[in-house]
Amino acid sequence: KMPEVSEVMTKADIKPKSMHRAKIWSDDVENLYRFQQAGYRDEVEYKQVKQVDEVECWPETGFVKKLQRRDNTFYYYNRQRECEDKDVRKVKVYVY
Amino acid sequence: VRGPPPAGSVKQRPAKHTAFRKFYERGDFPIAVQHECVGNKIAWKVEIENLDYHYFLPLFFDGLCETEFPYEFFARQGVHDLLEHGGNKILPVVPQLIIPIKNALNLRNRQVLCTTLKVIQHLVVSAEMVGEALVPYYRQILPVLSIFKHMNGEL
Repeated sequence: KMPEVSEVMTKADIKPKSMHRAKIWSDDVENLYRFQQAGYRDEVEYKQVKQVDEVECWPETGFVKKLQRRDNTFYYYNRQRECEDKDVRKVKVYVY
Repeated sequence: VRGPPPAGSVKQRPAKHTAFRKFYERGDFPIAVQHECVGNKIAWKVEIENLDYHYFLPLFFDGLCETEFPYEFFARQGVHDLLEHGGNKILPVVPQLIIPIKNALNLRNRQVLCTTLKVIQHLVVSAEMVGEALVPYYRQILPVLSIFKHMNGEL
């Protein structure tokens, strides 16, 4: 049990060092937008909180398809782009 | 000699309360609205993959007749999510969707017409053979669309 506890502690300690706002849209910005809509910083935090190895994505575009929020409800996202140009500036990009 | 009085074919009909509204107010739907700063999105309490499409999809289609918030929003967005993630569960349910579609079109409400047309577009691309499955029901769906076919850009 001790190694499991220490592993969980290590994962929970991964925190970003800095943050800046996205300036132009890209696939990564689109996925960050989707994670932040669901209440997470990014894929790293989602995997930490939900204890999953993989995130369900659309095979055609690679965009996030489904996320489980902290209240255990599910958000479903479109195959195509959802983050409009006016929302790009609101997307936070974290650097580890 | 006067001409015949107008038949009222393009006149909007009053909408009745739908089964969708009753079920929503009873809390039977596994959905909740989340107000985020970047726009409204529908949150599902149950995974869509586990939903019984024979039960839920016709109910959500029934909600297309609604024009008030939040019923109109939940119905439209719910239909979108169900069609987007339904896969092969959609085709067997197509016959049960015809009456809700017909009811929505029969309202002759411009907003409902536009929404229903977009839903039909999404329906036919959502899964294989759905377009072909709609062919036997053209005689029920197309007459109302024919009434409005001359209104290009006015809807």
